[in-house]
Amino acid sequence: MVTGHGRLQHVVRVWLPVGFFLLVALFPFYWMAITSIKPNAELYNRNVMPLIVHAPTLKHYVDLLTKSSFLLWTWNTMLVAVVATAISLILGTMLAYPLARMRFAGASLIAMTIAAIYLVPQPLLFIPLADIINRLNLGNTLTSVILTYPTMLVPFCAWLLLGYFKSVPRELEEAARIDGASRVQTMRMIFLPLCTPGFISAGIFAFTLSQNEFLYALIFLTKSTVRTVPVGVIAELIRGDVFYWGQLMAGALLGSIPVALIYSFFVEHYVAGLTAGSVKA
Amino acid sequence: MTIASDRLPVLAQAARRRVPLAVLLDRQGVFSWLMMALPLAFLAALVGYPFFYGILLSLQDRPVARAGTFVGLKNFLTDLHDPIFWQVAINTFVYTGVATLLKMVGGLGLALAMNQHFRMKNLVRALLLLPFIVPTVLSTVAWLWMLDPAFSVVNRLMVALGWPKPGPSWLGDPTLAMVSIIIINTWRGLPFYGITLLAGLQTVPQELYEAAAIDGAGGWHRFRFITLPLLRPIILIVTLFSVIFTFADFQLVYVLTHGGPQNATNLFATYAFDLAMGAGQLGLGASVALAMLPALALLIVALTIYMRRD
Amino acid sequence: MSATHHPTTRRGFLKVAAAGTAAALSRAVPAAAAEKTITILHESSFIKPFDEYVVNTLAPAYEKETGIKINYEVTSVGSLPTRISTIAETGSGADITMNGLLQVIQFADRYLDVGDMAEEIGKAQGGWYDAGREAVLVDGKWKALPFSNIGQLMNWRTDWFAEVGVKNFPETWEELHAVGKKLKAKDHPFGFELGHGFGDNHGWLYPLLWSYGGSEVASDGKTVVIDSDETARAVDFCRAFFKDTMLDDVLGWTDVSNNKAWMSEQISCTNNAESILWFAKREFPEIGKVTDQAMNPAGPKGRFHLLNSISHSIFSFSPVREEARAFMRWLMQPNQLGGWYAIADSYYQPLLHGYDNAPMWNVEPRNLPYREALANAHLPGWPAPASRQLAESVAKYVVIDMFAKACAGASTREVIKTAEAQLKGIYRSA
Repeated sequence: MVTGHGRLQHVVRVWLPVGFFLLVALFPFYWMAITSIKPNAELYNRNVMPLIVHAPTLKHYVDLLTKSSFLLWTWNTMLVAVVATAISLILGTMLAYPLARMRFAGASLIAMTIAAIYLVPQPLLFIPLADIINRLNLGNTLTSVILTYPTMLVPFCAWLLLGYFKSVPRELEEAARIDGASRVQTMRMIFLPLCTPGFISAGIFAFTLSQNEFLYALIFLTKSTVRTVPVGVIAELIRGDVFYWGQLMAGALLGSIPVALIYSFFVEHYVAGLTAGSVKA
Repeated sequence: MTIASDRLPVLAQAARRRVPLAVLLDRQGVFSWLMMALPLAFLAALVGYPFFYGILLSLQDRPVARAGTFVGLKNFLTDLHDPIFWQVAINTFVYTGVATLLKMVGGLGLALAMNQHFRMKNLVRALLLLPFIVPTVLSTVAWLWMLDPAFSVVNRLMVALGWPKPGPSWLGDPTLAMVSIIIINTWRGLPFYGITLLAGLQTVPQELYEAAAIDGAGGWHRFRFITLPLLRPIILIVTLFSVIFTFADFQLVYVLTHGGPQNATNLFATYAFDLAMGAGQLGLGASVALAMLPALALLIVALTIYMRRD
Repeated sequence: MSATHHPTTRRGFLKVAAAGTAAALSRAVPAAAAEKTITILHESSFIKPFDEYVVNTLAPAYEKETGIKINYEVTSVGSLPTRISTIAETGSGADITMNGLLQVIQFADRYLDVGDMAEEIGKAQGGWYDAGREAVLVDGKWKALPFSNIGQLMNWRTDWFAEVGVKNFPETWEELHAVGKKLKAKDHPFGFELGHGFGDNHGWLYPLLWSYGGSEVASDGKTVVIDSDETARAVDFCRAFFKDTMLDDVLGWTDVSNNKAWMSEQISCTNNAESILWFAKREFPEIGKVTDQAMNPAGPKGRFHLLNSISHSIFSFSPVREEARAFMRWLMQPNQLGGWYAIADSYYQPLLHGYDNAPMWNVEPRNLPYREALANAHLPGWPAPASRQLAESVAKYVVIDMFAKACAGASTREVIKTAEAQLKGIYRSA
């Protein structure tokens, strides 16, 4: 039973801080939403209170969807993100499972190498990678980014999955081994299905990183038809020094709301996966 | 059903032939190395090889579309004498340090606030992740507008309160420009920090708190001696990720200021990009990018030591 | 042996002849089917009809005449250097390419020498502007055919200038400074980019330096001469100009900022390419009516403009180089070239004197200063010839930051010394 005094306390302890964070996090989105429905005349008018719109219009959304390749870019982005994430999860698992479950010579060396690969950041690799992609004639193909995104995602997935794998109790696997199952069978049939939360959390993070990537896409994808949303928007909704602000903001919202919906669906698993993984690491 | 005795040796031999291979594959060492072969090959080809190639580039004078000539450490010497290089280094450290600190403290605050029971918690959690989800370049474009003194809500407020028109120049003043990119980076990364720390908080057993409360420990005490120590590992992991990503940040600065005003917001990544793609000097660009490595390694070692210190 | 196979019977002969013709025809058909294609790389034009003209008019016309297909590939604004990089490094991807400001210098090794064509074209069409030569000569060789300049001019609000009694745009920097002071007092400040953009800062800062007699490097392309009284005067002027006439925010402006400021009526004068006028006419006609363009003001040592040249080069590794040459010859003839220029009004300012009086200049009289500006337009780094060091100096914002730091408060001595040290480092290998 919540008393009047308890009610107030509840508001202060919960909604004051949470409200503060919500305000900080979402204010720019309010701005984006307002900008995306403001006609140009209002948008550029500095005498008008910028937080209100007087004559809302859907023109920017229509222009974005019909006059630019936004839908194509979204398709490209999603495709690349899904495939790159899948590759990274598979390769990450192949690295993490032996490190989590096996004892073998060179294990700590491999673990250190993966951590070290972490330290090699994109800005360092983009020059030589550009050369490699050129030599393989993969310039301006989605393959170029599908191949290069995992370079930043695999170490991360391996690390996260390693932590998660270590936290899964061994009893079921040991039982399976006693029953005569090979290691491969144990891994496939017993272990991996138990790790779904870990895969979801690693997958969601990898997916986000993938659809947010900019540098490699900027360098490898110069044709409109193969571009992802971040580069497409910057390259084409900005013509020289003319920004199509309304369309840009419409693109921002259309590019993030669907992903947020996916997140809210998976967020339980995301939290569970991270918890088990990180605390035990 | 009996097996014909003359068939036994054949069967036994077949069994013997089958088992050794399966046994071999089941040996921990063999299994592990076979399993790791593909990912290791992938990383060797697409990270290892470019990494060493990058080192080779940094030792060359390599204009774009021309052959390279080996020049040893000349590029690094050039960097050491380049005032922009030093400014870029300082900028990157300051940017990473302050933003990470703010994200850590803010994230912790967010996690503590969210670690309570209230309705619509899942919705709030998803909404709070939006700054992290939206593509950086797009939210940065929004910030470009929000930081324009003529349109900024903050400036309007300040002017209304008496500040001389048009209020602070967020992207024109070198110090404020650095403040601005730190704010945007914090805004972007804080939710991830917060939600991850929240996950950690939720694994702390309630009994520990209850026991401490019975012993008379106050809120702050409980926080310092129960919560923080248990959160240490997770704080370390998230901070490591955050430091690496922030240190190598490119998009934010590229879109917002392109390194200006007067290199006040120029970072390693943006400077290396300008040298390689703008000036066409691939060797020099690689040398600046490589300079990130010792700095990053230093940061991470320092962090790990600090975190492990008990 | 039947009669049909014997060539001497009439039926046999016809059959053999028919077979022979069929064979001859079938030999000819593959040759025609293996038609040649020339791929041209271009950056997406600000003026859409310009790109469409190639695809819809020029390419079909050439194919009709010669049977060679023209493949016009468009890459988005800003991506051209990256795309050319890839092609130059891998040795394939296009045969002819457009160049922006720095690409001729950077990729000269991969481009054909087109001097013979250039001389011909120049002779036939009134002669090249010096600016055209400056943009494409690398080590004395023509590595590209000049196409046009995309100029940067002063944009000014005629209504607000009139309010302080100014009907014509000031002739000198000093005069502009005086007008700016008055306008700032009336809450109509100037807004010239001093940040890390790529165009609206170059468009006035390099001309400012030159008009006071300063320069980065001497015409020998080696000696760093930035430390001079002339440079100091330019820097001092810039500092006063900034303090007395402009918004503080300009120190952090990129190329988009002055467009935004113009449309939101924050500023009365800036340096920009044609985009402000073009956008205003379409979206804010009222503002468009009071927007005018003028040449850069003159300093004690003259009036200057930025050369932002567009040119075309042929890749030396192209398998169809001779066909590409022939195409360029055809393209650069008045019939084709004139039509192509005209479709973009005067957005692309021709570098051949033959077009000085073309009708396209009459479409928008406010663009006429672009033509006058060609006479004194130069590349950054002038009077030194084009070189890769120039590209490094531009990428490091040496001149831009020299002025910007002074405006932000640093001493003239200090900023010049810094710029000198930087240039000495950059030109060490010249």
